[in-house]
Amino acid sequence: MATDHALAHPPGAVPQKKPISQGVLAMLLFIGSEAMLFASFFTAYFMVRYNVAENHWPPLNQNGEPFELPKVGTGVSTAFLVFSSFTVWWAEHRLKHNDRKGLERGLLVTILLGITFLVAQINEYAHLGFTPADKAFGSTFYTLTGFHGLHVLVGLILLTICYVRVKRARDFTPTFSTPLVMASIYWHFVDVVWVALYILVYLV
Amino acid sequence: MTTHQPTHAHPGHAHHGAAKSTWDYWKRAIVWTVGGVAAGFAIVFLARWIFDFENLWVPQVYWSVCASLAGLGFIIGIGCFDWWWAYMRGKQVDLEDHSMHGAQKWSDYFRPNTDHKVIGIQYLVTTFFFFVVAGILAELVRLELAVPGATIADGETYNGFFSAHATIMIFAFVIPVFGGISNYVLPIMLGAKDMAFPRLNALSFWLLVPAGVMLVLAPFVGSFSSGWTAYAPLSVQGTTGSTLFEVAVQFAGASSIATALNFLVTIMTMRAPGMTVWRMPMLAWAQGVTSGLVVFGTPFIAGSQFMTWFDRVMGTNFFNVGGGGDVLMYQHVFWFYSHPAVYIMMIPGFGIISEVVAAFSRKPLFGYRAMAFSTVAIALLGFGVWAHHMFVSGMPAWLRFPMMFMTVVIAVPTGVKVFSWLGTMWGGRLHLKTPMLWAMGFVFTFLIGGLSGVFLGVLPAVIHLTDTYYVVAHIHYVFFGGSVFTVFAGVYYWFPKITGRMYNERLGQIHFWLTFVGFNATFFPMHWLGAVGMPRRVADYDERFASLNLFISLATSGMVIGSLIFFYNMIHSWAKGPQAPWNPWRARSLEWLVSSPPSLFNFDAVPQVVGGPYQYGIPGARHAVVFAGEELGGGELVEHERRTILVIANESVSSAALLEHIRERANGHWRFTMLVPVEDGNVRAAERRLQQALSVLAAEGVDANGSVVSGDPLSAVRAAVADDEPTEVMLVTEPLGQSRWLNQDMVDRVRKATNLPVNHVVISAAEAGRPAVSKAVNTVAVIANDGLSGDGVINAVQGHADGGPVAAVILCPLSLDGPGWTDDAETVRDAAAGRARDAIARLQQAGIPARGEVIDGDPAEAARIARDSYRATTILVASVAGRGDADVVETVTQAAAPVPVEHVFVETAPPAL
Repeated sequence: MATDHALAHPPGAVPQKKPISQGVLAMLLFIGSEAMLFASFFTAYFMVRYNVAENHWPPLNQNGEPFELPKVGTGVSTAFLVFSSFTVWWAEHRLKHNDRKGLERGLLVTILLGITFLVAQINEYAHLGFTPADKAFGSTFYTLTGFHGLHVLVGLILLTICYVRVKRARDFTPTFSTPLVMASIYWHFVDVVWVALYILVYLV
Repeated sequence: MTTHQPTHAHPGHAHHGAAKSTWDYWKRAIVWTVGGVAAGFAIVFLARWIFDFENLWVPQVYWSVCASLAGLGFIIGIGCFDWWWAYMRGKQVDLEDHSMHGAQKWSDYFRPNTDHKVIGIQYLVTTFFFFVVAGILAELVRLELAVPGATIADGETYNGFFSAHATIMIFAFVIPVFGGISNYVLPIMLGAKDMAFPRLNALSFWLLVPAGVMLVLAPFVGSFSSGWTAYAPLSVQGTTGSTLFEVAVQFAGASSIATALNFLVTIMTMRAPGMTVWRMPMLAWAQGVTSGLVVFGTPFIAGSQFMTWFDRVMGTNFFNVGGGGDVLMYQHVFWFYSHPAVYIMMIPGFGIISEVVAAFSRKPLFGYRAMAFSTVAIALLGFGVWAHHMFVSGMPAWLRFPMMFMTVVIAVPTGVKVFSWLGTMWGGRLHLKTPMLWAMGFVFTFLIGGLSGVFLGVLPAVIHLTDTYYVVAHIHYVFFGGSVFTVFAGVYYWFPKITGRMYNERLGQIHFWLTFVGFNATFFPMHWLGAVGMPRRVADYDERFASLNLFISLATSGMVIGSLIFFYNMIHSWAKGPQAPWNPWRARSLEWLVSSPPSLFNFDAVPQVVGGPYQYGIPGARHAVVFAGEELGGGELVEHERRTILVIANESVSSAALLEHIRERANGHWRFTMLVPVEDGNVRAAERRLQQALSVLAAEGVDANGSVVSGDPLSAVRAAVADDEPTEVMLVTEPLGQSRWLNQDMVDRVRKATNLPVNHVVISAAEAGRPAVSKAVNTVAVIANDGLSGDGVINAVQGHADGGPVAAVILCPLSLDGPGWTDDAETVRDAAAGRARDAIARLQQAGIPARGEVIDGDPAEAARIARDSYRATTILVASVAGRGDADVVETVTQAAAPVPVEHVFVETAPPAL
């Protein structure tokens, strides 16, 4: 046995740190990927807005009037979405104190807030008065907000799965809650994208 | 070294629930796919009806939704979501569920499987299928271009050919095939049991299937002629084919992203203890960097395809200038992914080449850290050069110079790599096996591709060359001469590990040379064609290009024939090749320290990494300590724990006597390197003998490898000692007086040259001919009488021997009419025995162990003896050409059943009797 050789390079030469959970790492990378998807649509948006329209924005629609976006109404639903980020954080926080009731309530409130946002968004679509085919303005607007809406839906599905796991499988403990952490990171991401989108598309 | 042959059952995880057959999965997949199409129709129809659209029938909308839902349905139906579905419903699930893990039978490869090794094979086989499809399309392109004028296709169809060729090659072959290779070897290289997310891994593979199928269908269902780049506005005007392409790209993109996430997390978190990033094999670096490119780049092509898709199907105005859109924006978004994508298609190949070059040069990889950093640098710079594809597109002029500058800067890290490979080879002891030939061929062709890339990167040249055949030449020099060469290098290199069998070296080399020559003859003239102005993507061309185009079209046959040989070699060797040793290349990385193929969870215990992976020829250096499983008594085994015995033998290398001797010595403590020095003899024969010996030893679990070397034993020993650090030399000779080596005082000279103990084994010429009996060796029985005297029989048996190790039995049935004791009969018998003896001698000269007997009886009797006494696996009936003997073959076939019988005709004059 060449133990002398082995001792020359003792095991554990790499310091053992508590590693980041694989699921969370994957979710962070996936969010990087998702961010790039939105970046591609934002690229389209900015190129249309600054190169073609030369920042005459919003452009004029078929009737010769500028497109209008409901800044205030959407601002309210933005507030709902931002608030839901805090509620999901609160739910995780309750889990750390092993308060399962609090965790359930936190998740439920988050899901309801998310649904509220989606319904408000659909309502907005119904009353905008222009379609994706109305100029590049409509195209970029609907693509950006539509893809964001899909991501909200995915986030809601993830949170609902977590809720079902909490209720029916008694999942998650203060020490192991990777799926929940993944869902909540994703939810924060969806939220951050929306804030950026609201500022860049609605306000500026 | 560890461990044991594959064990396909894992005691802790019995298969849960009622076992489903593969066909059950496929039935459900078909139902869900058809259901997806139906649901697509229903959803679109209902939505349009409820919201009161004027036009209920807009085909592209239907096709879009149907194709997407069909793909999704297929993945659900085949069972990728079964576990997650249970999880979603709040069922109690086993997070470590291994019920979908591993393949016990071939049909398990056709259902979702969570074993990275099975997924790797699924990827490889599937992607090579698409390689064939796209290759046929390429031949159609060349057929059309062979002579000027429209020949087999009109312009639109021709556009469909090259578009489908490129998209299938890129999205369904080159990108995923690296995923396949890395899926198989990377986790083992890192010392992991599997990938980080095995279920996600299965999903990534099955996402590729609908993507590939849609890409193949696209040209059949409507014009799809905008090339793989699918530039707007042409792609916006396309029809159903374009829709399928756009949906397929989304599926393929999702597949790549999922695999890339998996690779990144695996590389970041699952390395064996001691494997710092600076001890990772180069393939891990390469795959990690590539995965980074995929994760952050692929969403851009998804975005670009969503936008063209919406423009065509929903009437959006992204690229419609009339609606305030920006048509050039497509190219920016597309190339922002697709330039990094060329590195996605190249960097894993760089990793493979680094593995191969180091192992076959027997030297540490030159400039390991420079290699790693240059990989990262290429990836980072790769994001800053996208607009060099757009120099003449009318983009803002100020973008041109920075893009040109960055493009040329990329040549620096790429040059670092090329010089590192050359530096590794420089002064190394090159073993020119097939993988190494591909690697060296790659360095050559990729260099040409890189240099032509510089021309296309600098403005003054590219404005002249853009959209000509020069670009076609360049892209094929980097994708075929680059990526595909590395794929072949990797496939040959890991073939023994993946299949547990050796490929046929000679066919591999023929494949390489045919492809290498055919490839250069095909694509090099295109540089010239482009420079003198032949435009690409046009079905017809000017008369003055005719002769070169005809030459190019003919030259492609080299690649076609080479590929046919490749597939024959792969399929035949996989089924019937000789058993592979664990480590045929004496490589150092972890995948070579486990059995071939590896056991279900790769390692019995977590290995410990103690050094770099390429420390070839450095005394005392080693890469990893591998631990034995508990059933083997546990404890630590080191790759150098087993000291090497150098066996030098020639004619006797495959003899039963020597192999028996080695088996006794082996005893689990030794590994053997067999050297067969051939000075002026028959190299093929020596190779057959060596292959036979290695197969027998592999079947017995003895760790052995070896090579045939030209030159005298002394120089062979000197080379091997430097290479292999043996602790003992075993020199096998004939007895004193008959042995040429002993006459040259070889024992003493070897001892003095190596300073090692020499174990002298004496095997007589008669002993040397006695073949080893082993299940690894097939027995070919030859039933022939007059047919024995020519070369025909020998050639037929050699043909078998080239496919795998065989021993031959010569049976010579006399079929005497009269009584057997007459003088006449005696003469006949003597003549037959003489012929048989002669045939046996010639077979042994050719490196095939042989024995035989003369049988007083008819051929049917001989067939029964071949089957029952010699356990023959194949029977050859040789008859002299011109003589029918059909009835003989018939009776032999009946008598020998179930052993297969082949009939060979031999050209020989019957001996004068």
